[in-house]
Amino acid sequence: MTERYLILEDGSAYLGKAFGSLSTTTGEIVVNSTMNGYQEIISNQIYHNQIIVFTQSSIGNTGLDQNAYESIMPTAKGVVVKEYENLATDQFKRISLDRYLKLHRIPGIYDVDTRQIVHHLREKGNMKASIVDVADEHAFDQLHATVLTNQQVSQVATPKPYANPGDGDNVVVVDFGLKSGILRELSKRDCNITVVPWNSTSEMILDLDPDGVVLSTGPGAPTSLPDDVLEMIRNVQEAVPMLAIGLGHELFAMANDAQIVALESMHYGSNHPIREIITNEVFYAGQEQGYAIDSKSINHDKLYITHADLINGTVQGLRHRDYPAFSVQFSPDGAPGPKDAVGVFDDFVEIMARRRDSSETRF
Amino acid sequence: MGKNILDKMAMQRALTRITYEIVERNKGVEDLVLIGIKTRGVFLAERIANRLQQLENVSIPVGELDITNYRDDIEHDATSIDEIKMSNNNIDFSVENKRVILVDDVLYTGRTVRAALSAVMDLGRPKSINLAVLVDRGHRELPIRADFVGKNIPSSQKEKIKVYVNEIDGKDAVEILK
Repeated sequence: MTERYLILEDGSAYLGKAFGSLSTTTGEIVVNSTMNGYQEIISNQIYHNQIIVFTQSSIGNTGLDQNAYESIMPTAKGVVVKEYENLATDQFKRISLDRYLKLHRIPGIYDVDTRQIVHHLREKGNMKASIVDVADEHAFDQLHATVLTNQQVSQVATPKPYANPGDGDNVVVVDFGLKSGILRELSKRDCNITVVPWNSTSEMILDLDPDGVVLSTGPGAPTSLPDDVLEMIRNVQEAVPMLAIGLGHELFAMANDAQIVALESMHYGSNHPIREIITNEVFYAGQEQGYAIDSKSINHDKLYITHADLINGTVQGLRHRDYPAFSVQFSPDGAPGPKDAVGVFDDFVEIMARRRDSSETRF
Repeated sequence: MGKNILDKMAMQRALTRITYEIVERNKGVEDLVLIGIKTRGVFLAERIANRLQQLENVSIPVGELDITNYRDDIEHDATSIDEIKMSNNNIDFSVENKRVILVDDVLYTGRTVRAALSAVMDLGRPKSINLAVLVDRGHRELPIRADFVGKNIPSSQKEKIKVYVNEIDGKDAVEILK
């Protein structure tokens, strides 16, 4: 078994064993604490340019399911785990994790002390990392010299619009690097979906005559996107119902005057209880969060805080006071993670239905 | 056993959405009062009031309206009607110049709402009256429509729509009974 190293920007190195692709990569290292769903995690574009450390001690043990990809071309930069299994022996003849990672040129490293890495990262903060063959001075020089792009969205979002037809509500999804779960949940509700590029203008979007608009999840910092996006959001929220998720939620907040802060310790997992303020109900959902909304910056004449994280106190949901526009930081589609919050999509569809009905009597 | 249309979660979400829409439509909660139509409308009105309390930290008054004696499909003893009209209400606030939200469980023919409108008007002159219902099942016999609807359930007149609320029925659900 080939031995390889995981090296961190601060000079630490971990010896482990290789699986997946044998290429050398560099990315931002992040910790994911979700118990299951390694396939959804690795294929989620939110991990663009990131090396994912799994706290779950063993992955690869269920192969890959053809219905559970969150994107066609994963762009994560690496997988770090304690124990890796290469099982794909079930009746469905699934692809193994090893083969999948090789196919997409993503290196993996296992048999490293992931607990130690997690403690180290919690202490030292966010940093770059590489998976390399030798941990010498040259490798560290390369790591330090690598500049990671802050234009992640344009790297992973669709450059052209495409249709995902259905018989129901006409929904435009603005793609900031979406995960398939969003389309899956809208399709389940029969929506007629058009996915448009992240830099579409409000005119282009409203010309499609949508019943509602969804701002998708995506990688990177919302502050690295141009202000035109915020202008688009302000125009669209006045015109039609809007649901914003993840990065979309952060942009929705910015478009309504709120400020964004980078989290000292990024949170990728589904173990934080989230409180819905209006009902005081607590639930769990998948969260992939490197940034948060500065709750002090929220203009309460424009936005309500609808959900809050009970562990780190971050804003997990917002709603506009004057328009049927609302947003969630977490992933309501539950791929992976709990499906507790999947009703967010029902709410969105119901709001679109209400708007359509309100001008005429249906019966 | 009927067919389940809304379960507990869906019912809660519908009330939550109605609450947000009430604030959105009224541009705030100033002068807002809730009047629930007995029996189940009262519990739904209280739940909306609880949500407004959570959301805006304001206490919105909730009244209980019994429209039995205003119904046009029940024969009344004409001499005593004025005395008994108000007897079963529990509304300890003035509706004068208030934005009234009437709350009921099911909107059907519109006759209950018509009766409720007369009853509220007898109490004073509100600034406006809006109607919030959990279920709109169609088949109106009067020109009445709801401003806030939890769920449209197109139904046949042969069917019966039953709303259960935890406070008196021990569960939250909406069912269609054939």
